[in-house]
This record gives sequence, structure tokens and C-alpha cells, in this order.
Amino acid sequence: MANKSGNAYALTVLCPILRGVPSDSPAGNSGQTYTALLRNVLQTLHVNEESPMAKVPNTYLCRFWVLSDVPYQGKPAFLEHLKSDYLVFSSNFHGELEPYLAGMWKALQEDVLAILWHCVGHEAVRDAKSFIEYVKKCQVTTTFFFNGSTDEPLVEQLKNLYLKQEFSRFAFENQGKSASELQEAFRGFVQRTQPTNLDGPTWAPGAYHLDRVEGASK
Amino acid sequence: MSNIAGKAYAMNAVTPMRWYTAWWNRLFFWIAHKRPATTAGLVTLSLIHYARWVIVMPHQFPKLSSDQPQEDVKYAYMIFFSNFNGSWNQYVDSFSSAIPGGLNLFWFGSIKYPKSVPMLPFHRYITSNQIWTDYYYNAYPMASSNDVKSAKKVKDSLLAFIGDSQKAAPEEFMQKYNRLLIDLQHDISQMGPNPVVSLSASAVERNLRKEGVERKELSD
Repeated sequence: MANKSGNAYALTVLCPILRGVPSDSPAGNSGQTYTALLRNVLQTLHVNEESPMAKVPNTYLCRFWVLSDVPYQGKPAFLEHLKSDYLVFSSNFHGELEPYLAGMWKALQEDVLAILWHCVGHEAVRDAKSFIEYVKKCQVTTTFFFNGSTDEPLVEQLKNLYLKQEFSRFAFENQGKSASELQEAFRGFVQRTQPTNLDGPTWAPGAYHLDRVEGASK
Repeated sequence: MSNIAGKAYAMNAVTPMRWYTAWWNRLFFWIAHKRPATTAGLVTLSLIHYARWVIVMPHQFPKLSSDQPQEDVKYAYMIFFSNFNGSWNQYVDSFSSAIPGGLNLFWFGSIKYPKSVPMLPFHRYITSNQIWTDYYYNAYPMASSNDVKSAKKVKDSLLAFIGDSQKAAPEEFMQKYNRLLIDLQHDISQMGPNPVVSLSASAVERNLRKEGVERKELSD
């Protein structure tokens, strides 16, 4: 019904996870189910600017979790169970689905394969085209998508945030200056921050520390 | 495992509904999509980056192989995803206070949904149906949703000001600059890491960062 809101896209994917225990478990993890192994992979991915998802162009926010059953509401509701566990991937990004997934494959091929190894039908994923086909088979349509933010390309959002940060600092540091001093300082500010240059200086995707946030766009 | 990435919190809630009432929900959402004025209450909740409701009908669970058993659930399941700023309590209370009627429509037909007011049963309902996130990524963890929106205004205003003040004499420049600051007084602020709201999330981040740095050094 509504995967898109303006230029923002809400991707929701349910990938069925293989049942049981793999015969070729990674070293030290024998006897663990595919679901347990997958959780281990997800929970040990790097975070913030070192996150693999920081390399995927136009990703605003995304998450992975495991739907291992459906919640029971108590009597008189039916008690029912899922027969498979599902890897849930949801991403909020700028643009169209296929270019986004192609960008994800290009940036993260190894990570994508390492995650999908736990899922049914992963053998079919060999290249960008088959990855896109796989995700589309697992996609469920978003019923309603609410965009409470902006829908610009991520590089624009990051440049905007960089400028907001730098201009706020500039306004604070240049209080009480004479008109000519202020004008001179502002010329230096424009030269340094290059407001129309999206490639840099700007914020790095995923950065969560003031000393590491400034960088060139990826 | 963390529901937190910087200033954003990831909520996932899965609630069952009868398949035939799910069609009513789909109709409400369709109207909300076609007539954005109906979601004006949601817009006032400016702490939300993005939120979505996904209704999975009983036959819609993906089946990719003949070896994979067919699901035989009777209920449709609505999965709610939200990315918001602040704590869980702040969010759920804001939701309940700002759009109680809207929530009741969106969760209409959900089995044992207690209505959004009073708050305590609503809290219990969300808690018992929430599923934790295994991995959460945020492209701008130091920014709130309001920061993202105000940053766009700052950049647009700044670019207009640069064009407008290029040939101005110093006194005129200062007048225009002061007008710019007044116009942006609600939008300029310094951003930084959040105060620690979850010791476990903070510990996970610290450990994964350390490990990441070590791995990077090894590969160098």
C-alpha cells in the first residue's frame, strides 16, 4: 500500500531462517541452531561509523531482529505458533528499492552472504540481481509509512547537520565582534565549511563522537 | 542486542488481529495515507524519525522452498516499527497523550488491545508485545529528528544569506546576519552524544568499538 513517503522508502523484509542445526557450524559453535548463530552474527556487527550499514548509500536508519514466534494474548485468544523463525530487516532510506539494494550488495557483499547463510533459499543469492530478487520475494508491503523527518538524500542530510553544528558554533564564538570583523570571520567560515560541496567537509555516516564526526562523504 | 543507536530508539511491536478486522485497519491506514491531514497528530510528535505499520495476513509469511513448512496461523499480525528520540516511557506516554483516538484506530481490532487511555494497561500491552532489536544502525546518532529537520532550514537559510550578503558593506552585512540569527533562533544548537540512557547499550558500543579498532589495526 505505502512503501514510500515522498522520496523516503520503508523496506520491510521477512526472511525465513533455516530450521535446526547446521552440519557445518562455525568453529566453537557446534550444536547451535541457525537462529542462534544468526543472532550471534547480528549482535557482533560493528556499530556507529564502523557499522557495515554505514557503507550502504542513503541508509537513514535500519535494524535487524529475529521474529521467533508470535505473541500470545491469553485466553480467549488462539494460541498459535510460527513454524519458522524469520529474520526481520527493516530499512528507512532515500530513493528507490532496486538501486538501494544494488548499492547494498556492492558495499556489503560478504556481510550480506554471511547473514543470509542462515536463511532459506540463500543459495540463490550470487550477485546483485539475484540478491534483489531474493529480497523482493521476502518483502512485505508496508501498510502505512509515517515520515517524521526529511526525505533528502543522506549526503544532503549529513551536510545539513554538519552546517548546523558549525554555524551554531560560529554564532556562539563570534558574539560581540564589530561588523567588519564579523564579515571577515564569516568569509573564513564559508571557505572552511563549503556549504554547497556535498563531498566534504561533512558528517561521516554513523559517527557518534564529536572528534570523529567530521569527514568526507562516502 | 540493543534497541538504542545514539539518540534513536528502535521499537518493534507485534500484535495479532482477526484477518477480517485487519481489512478495517488497512482501510484506516489507506485513508491516513491518502489524506495526510488525518495524521496531523502524528506530526506533532516531532520526536519520531520514521514509523511504519505492516499488516502481515496469514498467507503472507514468505515461503521460499518446498522444505519450508507453510505457516498455518489464523490471525493477521500487525508489526509496528518506530524510530524515535528519548526514552521508551516518554515515547509511549507522548503517543498516548497526543493521539489517543488515532492509536485506537490504528490498533483497532488487535486482540485484547486495551485502548490508549488509561496509560498503564497500554504500557503493559506494548511491553508484552515488544520484541527486542538485534542490531540497530542510525546514520546520524548524535542528531534527533528535530535536529535533522532544523538542519535543513539552517542550510537553506545560510545559502540564501550567503547569496544575499555577498556584496553588502559591513554594517548592512551585520544587520542581515542578525536577522538570520533571529530567524534561526529555534534551529541552531550544538549536537553531541547522548547522556548514557542504557548502561548495557553503552557497554556494547564500547566493546564493539574497541574490537573494531583492534581488527582495523590488525588488517593495517
